[in-house]
Amino acid sequence: MVALIVGLKWQLLRNGLRRSTPQLVGLIIAVLYGLGVLVAALSGLVALRFSLPSDVARTAITLGGSAVVLGWTILPIIAYGIDQTLDPARFATFAVPRRQLVLGLLLSSLVGVPAAVTAILGLATVITWSRSLLAMAIAPVAAVVAVFTCVALSRVTSAASFAMSRRRRGKEALLLLMLLLSLGFGAATSSVMKQVSSPGLLQHLADVLGWTPLGLAWAVPADFADGAIGSGLLRLALALVFLVAALLVWDVLLRGALENPRATDGGGSANGNKGLGWFGRMPATPTGAVAARSIIAWRRDPRYVASVVLMLLLPLGLLLPAFTGSGNVWTLAMAPAAGFMLGWSTHNDIAYDGTAFWGHVATGVSGRADRVGRLVPTALTASVLLPIYAAISCALTDRWSAWPALFGMGLGFLLTGFGVASVMSVLKPYPVPGPGENPFGAPPGSSALTMVIQAVAGTAVFVVNLPLLVVGMGALFGRVWMGWLCLGLAIVFGSGTLAIGTRWGARIYERRAPELLADLSRIR
Amino acid sequence: MQTRGSSAALSLRGLSKAYGSTLAVDRLDLDVPRGSFFGLVGPNGAGKTTTLSMATGLLRPDAGTAHVLGHDVWSDTVRAKQLVGVLPDGLRLFDRLTGLQLISYSGLLRGMDRTVVTERAHELMEALGLAEATGTLVVDYSAGMTKKISLACALIHAPRLLVLDEPFEAVDPISATTIRQILEGYAASGGTVILSSHVMDLVQRLCDRVAIVAAGQIRAEGTLDEVRSGMTLEERFVDLVGGQTDVGEGLAWLRSSSD
Repeated sequence: MVALIVGLKWQLLRNGLRRSTPQLVGLIIAVLYGLGVLVAALSGLVALRFSLPSDVARTAITLGGSAVVLGWTILPIIAYGIDQTLDPARFATFAVPRRQLVLGLLLSSLVGVPAAVTAILGLATVITWSRSLLAMAIAPVAAVVAVFTCVALSRVTSAASFAMSRRRRGKEALLLLMLLLSLGFGAATSSVMKQVSSPGLLQHLADVLGWTPLGLAWAVPADFADGAIGSGLLRLALALVFLVAALLVWDVLLRGALENPRATDGGGSANGNKGLGWFGRMPATPTGAVAARSIIAWRRDPRYVASVVLMLLLPLGLLLPAFTGSGNVWTLAMAPAAGFMLGWSTHNDIAYDGTAFWGHVATGVSGRADRVGRLVPTALTASVLLPIYAAISCALTDRWSAWPALFGMGLGFLLTGFGVASVMSVLKPYPVPGPGENPFGAPPGSSALTMVIQAVAGTAVFVVNLPLLVVGMGALFGRVWMGWLCLGLAIVFGSGTLAIGTRWGARIYERRAPELLADLSRIR
Repeated sequence: MQTRGSSAALSLRGLSKAYGSTLAVDRLDLDVPRGSFFGLVGPNGAGKTTTLSMATGLLRPDAGTAHVLGHDVWSDTVRAKQLVGVLPDGLRLFDRLTGLQLISYSGLLRGMDRTVVTERAHELMEALGLAEATGTLVVDYSAGMTKKISLACALIHAPRLLVLDEPFEAVDPISATTIRQILEGYAASGGTVILSSHVMDLVQRLCDRVAIVAAGQIRAEGTLDEVRSGMTLEERFVDLVGGQTDVGEGLAWLRSSSD
């Protein structure tokens, strides 16, 4: 049974590649990237073998190893592209004994690029520890425990986040957690960067981590190399206990998923909305209807809610340095950053429709109505947020003269982002979680393609805005008149890009609507 | 008894579509006369959904043409789409809308007036027995309710031709009766219906014309009596499409009487 599940994962991976070239490209990129990381890390591990004090090897491996474990643990929460190929809920109808299912899913997680890289690196620590026979003997055992801990922890977090995201309240909690994590991450890296010059601190950190679940297994060979066999064995035992505990937690979460596979709150009631809601408030035109539908999706669809909250809160993260006393220059970026993110965020809007997009195709709605209507919720949000964010920046830095430049840059990013996104989203929709699915999951193999498209859209928006940025920067460096010029340029230039983008996008839409629908049914 | 016009409500010529090396629809010709209640039957994978998608502008054919009441679906797109109401199979709906909102959306997308849309939406929901569910999100609807709301979306602009892909799949008998009555009323007043189904009995009871599709081609087409030529539709279907129906002596282990 276990072998069957692992085989299934392998088969799924291969069939997925057979189905589409973008996924193949995605895998190739992932493999190349993995190879790069692998070669760099491997040479580091070999170099550590010959570095003189064994303390350096201990510190480096414990820190690096802990980072890897931490990465596996939090990635399922932060990243959208984490593997849900073998969604436990899909096994609900088969009477697979849960113990075998746990084992099978665990082993199947080892099939894939990230796991392969982690495993190779873990086993390569054997080279590092070849300075001592005892350490070399225990290193592979410790590495295996560490790799399984990685996989088990990532399964626990993805199962936990899935369980949480199925309830509205849990979803909100999860979003808050993500926000805190990303903010905490920023704060932590910035303080670590400051201290990085003092190796004593790193060593101290490694000592602490070596006794936490993150670093337990990684520190085992170091103990053996130093002759501290007792402490080494204790660590190994604790690491094993922790691994078993993680597996038990996962087992419990899995039971929830198996016994209640389709429990979603489905958005609950319609907020007592008996009438037309936004359809009554927007103009009774196709454009107004598309806008109203988008606004409702923003409010009721967890996938939109998740990304909207994230988008609104991330610029707030720029406030952090101001409060930790490391200068408030970054707070100036709030409005431009928000404008950029809001404008750019619409570049895959059609994908969220899924095959429901047939409604637009069958009614023959005009490309212009489809393109313009979808921008409305973002535009409404931005019209409130951008001036406020710009004002917050001014208040914190006490430079009110910067407001036109800041608002101008934000507006420029927003409008050109709209323009670029209006074209991008009809060219190549990329996979997103389906309605009612885990908003934090993504179809397997799609993450590389996703990143490429996001990067292209982001770069395009940035390049188009370069002149505006130059003028805006001029204003920030003291030439107040350039601030007003920046705002003026943003209005003229931004609406120009928007007009061209929506018109061009509308033309592509009208030519390719059926092909888009075919794309959408393929990626779902 | 039918009021047939000079030109067909739906006319397909040489329609073809391949997926990779699989030919889903193979140079298919079909005429659906105006005012007819037309049943398209065929085994799974025969190309019914592909054909209907190409006929309604949802899927671009590799070759061939589709005309709705004389308008080419793939060149005179807007006009053709105004005349057709579609209920596709296996595609999602914007299910975060309430039932009322979803119907209204279909109408407003077509540029209809809001008061007309609201009036008709309420009437449709009443007629389909969904009056209690106007304010419920479509995602919380049952399978039968979802089919009915889809039908309402297809009817809101009073189309001249209704193209329904598996309108009775997963629908309970009560909902099925409601849908049937609405469709019969629509056809009686001069509208044209083409529907696909696996359920031969239903097609036999509802439709006045039938076409049997297999492997992407029409195997038989005509009035119900012409097609079934003295047999039941099901017998004729199996006869034409072939395939094994007698499981014979296989699966002996499945019979529990042996122990």
